[in-house]
Amino acid sequence: MPLSDPRKAEVFRFVRADYADGEARLVYAFDDDLELVERIVFPQAPALLPERAAAFTTALKLLHLIAGVSYYKAGVPRQIRIDHGALDAQTAELLDALYLHGLGEFAYQNGLDLSECIHFPRAGTAAPAPAPVLGLPTRSLLPVGGGKDSLVSAELLKQHGENTTAVWVGNSPLIAACVAATGLPGLNITRQLAPELFEYNKAGAWNGHIPVTAINSAILVVAALLYGYDTVVFSNERSASSATLEYDGRAVNHQWSKGWEFEQMLAAWVRAQVAADLNYCSLLRPLSELAVTRLFARELRYDAVFSSCNRNFRILGPRPVDRWCGQCPKCHFVFLALAPFVPKPRLLNIFGRNLLDDESQQQGFDALLEFREHKPFECVGEGRESRAALQALSQRPEWREDALVARFRSVVLPQLDATELALEPLLQPAGPHAVPPRLAGILDAYR
Amino acid sequence: MNSLDSAPRAHAGWIVIKFGGTSVSTRPRWDTICRIARDWHAQGKRVLIVVSALSGITDKLKAVAEAAGDRVRREALQVEIHARHEAMFTELGLADRATLDYWLSRLAALAVDARAETSQLAWQAEVLALGEQLSSTLGQAYLSAQGLATRWLDAREHLLAQALPNQNAWGCYLSASVPTAPDAALAAALAKQGEVFITQGFMARNTAGETVILGRGGSDTSAAYFGALLKAEKVEIWTDVAGMFSANPRIVPAARLLSRLDYEEAQEIATTGAKVLHPRCLNPVREASVPLAVRDTNRPELAGTEIGASVAAAAPSVKAVSERRGITLISMESIGMWQQVGFLADVFERFKRHGLSIDLISSAETNVTVSLDPSENLVNSDVLSALAADLAEVCRVKVIAPCTAVTLVGRGMRSLLPRLAGVLAEFDLLRVHLVSQSSNNLNLTIVVDEAAATGLVPTLHAALIKTEALRAEDPAVFGPAWSELYAAATHNTEPPWWLTRREELLELGAQATPRYVYDLATVRERARRLRALSAPDRWFYALKANSQRDVLQVIAAQGFGLECVSPGELDIAAELVPAERLLFTPNFAAQPEYAAALARGARVTLDNLHPLQHWGETFRGHEVILRVDLGAGRGHHDKVRTGGAGSKFGLSLDQIEEFRQLARRHDVAVIGLHAHLGSGILDVGHWREVYSQLAALAQRFTRIEAINIGGGLGVPSRADEAQLDLDALDACLAEIKQAYPQFQLWMEPGRYLVAEAGVLLARVNQVKRKGEYCYAGVDTGMNSLIRPALYDAWHEIVNLSRYGEPADTLYQIVGPICESGDVLGSNRRLPECREGDLLLIAQAGAYGATMASQYNLRIPAGESVV
Repeated sequence: MPLSDPRKAEVFRFVRADYADGEARLVYAFDDDLELVERIVFPQAPALLPERAAAFTTALKLLHLIAGVSYYKAGVPRQIRIDHGALDAQTAELLDALYLHGLGEFAYQNGLDLSECIHFPRAGTAAPAPAPVLGLPTRSLLPVGGGKDSLVSAELLKQHGENTTAVWVGNSPLIAACVAATGLPGLNITRQLAPELFEYNKAGAWNGHIPVTAINSAILVVAALLYGYDTVVFSNERSASSATLEYDGRAVNHQWSKGWEFEQMLAAWVRAQVAADLNYCSLLRPLSELAVTRLFARELRYDAVFSSCNRNFRILGPRPVDRWCGQCPKCHFVFLALAPFVPKPRLLNIFGRNLLDDESQQQGFDALLEFREHKPFECVGEGRESRAALQALSQRPEWREDALVARFRSVVLPQLDATELALEPLLQPAGPHAVPPRLAGILDAYR
Repeated sequence: MNSLDSAPRAHAGWIVIKFGGTSVSTRPRWDTICRIARDWHAQGKRVLIVVSALSGITDKLKAVAEAAGDRVRREALQVEIHARHEAMFTELGLADRATLDYWLSRLAALAVDARAETSQLAWQAEVLALGEQLSSTLGQAYLSAQGLATRWLDAREHLLAQALPNQNAWGCYLSASVPTAPDAALAAALAKQGEVFITQGFMARNTAGETVILGRGGSDTSAAYFGALLKAEKVEIWTDVAGMFSANPRIVPAARLLSRLDYEEAQEIATTGAKVLHPRCLNPVREASVPLAVRDTNRPELAGTEIGASVAAAAPSVKAVSERRGITLISMESIGMWQQVGFLADVFERFKRHGLSIDLISSAETNVTVSLDPSENLVNSDVLSALAADLAEVCRVKVIAPCTAVTLVGRGMRSLLPRLAGVLAEFDLLRVHLVSQSSNNLNLTIVVDEAAATGLVPTLHAALIKTEALRAEDPAVFGPAWSELYAAATHNTEPPWWLTRREELLELGAQATPRYVYDLATVRERARRLRALSAPDRWFYALKANSQRDVLQVIAAQGFGLECVSPGELDIAAELVPAERLLFTPNFAAQPEYAAALARGARVTLDNLHPLQHWGETFRGHEVILRVDLGAGRGHHDKVRTGGAGSKFGLSLDQIEEFRQLARRHDVAVIGLHAHLGSGILDVGHWREVYSQLAALAQRFTRIEAINIGGGLGVPSRADEAQLDLDALDACLAEIKQAYPQFQLWMEPGRYLVAEAGVLLARVNQVKRKGEYCYAGVDTGMNSLIRPALYDAWHEIVNLSRYGEPADTLYQIVGPICESGDVLGSNRRLPECREGDLLLIAQAGAYGATMASQYNLRIPAGESVV
């Protein structure tokens, strides 16, 4: 049966969420149309401990609310309804912020104004009682994404002697290979979107970027309660907090759910409503992208398995071109950000080619430099990081004659403020973080 | 024959035979060694057997040698090594263990030696040498027990290493060299001691009498040293492949065994990529003029590769093509004066300062470019950065990497240049950074971007054979293909259908020629083969390959849709399949054609902005598929390459966003992405690449339902080429599908379904002899089958009337068209052809009749089915 156009729906409904035997079922609907069921499978899930049951239910409720963003955006109806009742103020604020900012790029790309639509219903009730201390085991869940950041975290946690499990969500041979390379125990959670979402796409649904890190965060909070971990360690860095562009008076950040604002909100919510001893943090928060790439350069074991490329990222191939498309902003940025810190032959082995000696990539690198282009909608570092990296390369004899480095020297550099091009200041850790005291010693490694 | 008859005479020649680790690790393998040694001995030769350590033992000894300060680990390894040799002792059924115990106790003592704590080099050498000392000890006992009296020879007594100039301490102990010259006195002295000897590879002594190790490839080198010392009649390296091949058989299964090489060619091939023989072992045998052979222990009936002095009369031929990956080029542009004295000295001094050794060099007036082989040093340290900084003092430096060096090897390379024209055309679209041709005329090396080099060696190898620059048919130089020797299962061994139905075809041919005949059972079988794949959701047959109605009916009945490229094709297809199974994929078609196809309900593929820019209304409200150009085209000939900027097909990737906007403006839904990069592809990795790239691209769209990865499924034209591995294809497609389950997978093969099902029958009109050439002229040519002329396609040709008679005449098979390119096949060995003989041109079912013309106003071959 062909589905009706979700853009015509009046209401987006959070119908219910339940959990049994390692499988969470999250149910949504547009109006009174058919139910959309997303399934999340937690492998070899242990029986839920009774003392964690209440916290688990709360965490599952949040997962339901957050994961709804994939479906909500298909229609963007004017009304949001939660069938099992309205939310307290803290929860409603978290979700309002997440849906509004996390869908900021989506709204920009589709020319929509979401501020009128996104109002999670809130009840006048007082905030729930503070969450108890659950005595969760002191160990960490580390989500691994196949790119450099989580692998840097893996190395840091290993060196620190932290009891860590590497988690990945979804079915990616590339990530599985990265997890294997860490040598850490692995946990593969799978997620199956409601198949009707594809039918809705045919019927004309809106489409675009969603805040997937928020969804993964909520899944990991549930996993922490289920398997028993007191810390969920993400690997988002400082530059994830900076906006991509301004649109309609609002900052649009492609990676808002990787930013500090979301991290703080979710961490506070978890501690207040789920468990007072459950930490949600990002280990690399005080670091710039360049500082992360410098740490990554210390370890050779991931060279042949990792990929930050968003185009080829699901497939693991034997050759560099199977992992790095070489055309997208992620490829451009990671290449550029690693270049000052790894021997040139090693970098070229990782990518299988020299992106900076390829004139056809000029526009892509200009966008990173924010030179005549805006920063791309991708998780890439700040413009000043790219400018500093290229400036560093332009001083190095083994790089300076490469086509785009030479062009940087002759065309771009004269137009830049020479005082803002130093690499070293960008490598200094700075800014707030929420790394728990147990792991704070790791931050010393940054210096 | 009694033993007295076979006893060597006083001046009997020496044979040195060498066996590697796997050859000495089981009792049956030792029986093989015994048999080979006994054979030579029975021929009246004195035999010296050189052995490596048991498999895996050298690695363990290396671990002992490197476990400085870790006594526990050393002792644990020592226990493992001990146990392995005890097991071998038992397996060989030996009784006297005194000598074995001696060496095992040496091992135990060395593991706790005080020198171990600091990994002293002399101690390391002693540890490493134990592997061969143990294996040769076991071998001596076993061979003697089998009745082949064998004496144990300590290699260190006869091989005296000399330090090379500038050699560091590590090299002196662990990568030593031994100068050797024939030593008649030694040969005579040994001859007095016995007839069969066994000794250790890998080791020698130094002038101080200490044990030293020969380094990588050491046992082969030992055999060569002994061969030179004894002025042996022959050195045989017994291994697990038949010898050296014309290319790496793992990437080129059609690589041919090299039956005969001269020393310099072998050295060049070994240096530029072949792993079977270490290049170091060639110099000693060349200096002493001792022939060396590489042979397969499992296939002793094969003569293997014989390496000896060059034969002056040999016709020049490319012998091998090899590649080395991970090459770094340093290009240095002189910034000083023209012809500045000492520039090169300044430059090379800096390479020496950083311990980097240069391989290739090419120079121009103001530029010198050199290559560096890959090394851990380059990847893990800042040596390149430091080098570049130093070089920048005297020149402008550019580092070009990663590159692949492709080398053609063969004596007389320069005289082959005219033949190489067609081979070098393969470098057409690649960035070539350096070409080097040595003055000894043995090689031609071309350095290209590594990313572009994938698949280059197999293509070059095929082109070398096709242009006869590699004279594969010369039995004096080339043996069988690797795939024939080792992978018989991968190519088709069934007789072709036309052979089993020969009588029927002869009858058909008697009625009328020229004539195409299609075997419907073969079409059906190929269609079923594809339908059995699990990953693709829908199949479309590219009807331009063969649009004969009975053929189409068979394919349609197997559930295939039909892919059409013109209104004419749509007309035929629409009579056979319902509209939802019609795919219209034209190129540069006119607006009314699209309108008509949409009106018919066919799925329409666009590959340009123009239709939406100018005829947007035609497509309003419709769904379309977008054909994109993923860049690098592939295929068996320029004219069947359908990707890359030089190709007219597909939308450039940088125009996709514009296409999307146009589609949105005209309410056109892009529901599929398509790419088709070439034809005749046998490498499964190709579709993996196309599929994963399209699927990744599809994520930027919102309505994509299907990914159409095109066709191009190759059909090998020669019997010794490996077939496309459909299981491997299915597995690799399934892997990608698992990652992108939301998209349907479509494929649209053409040639695969019909090529082998069709043959062209033609009758001999005339034969002609002209100089050395024999022509057989048949009653049709390029007007019926243009593929040989257009694509250089190779079709098997047989004389059906005389099938089975000895093929003793070399023919050029030509047609009657007034065009010098009207050649159906050149240099074909057939039974002598007479007027009226029926020739069969095989694999003519695809792009035969559909591409026929009336050129010269000659009616092309008709079509019939069986």
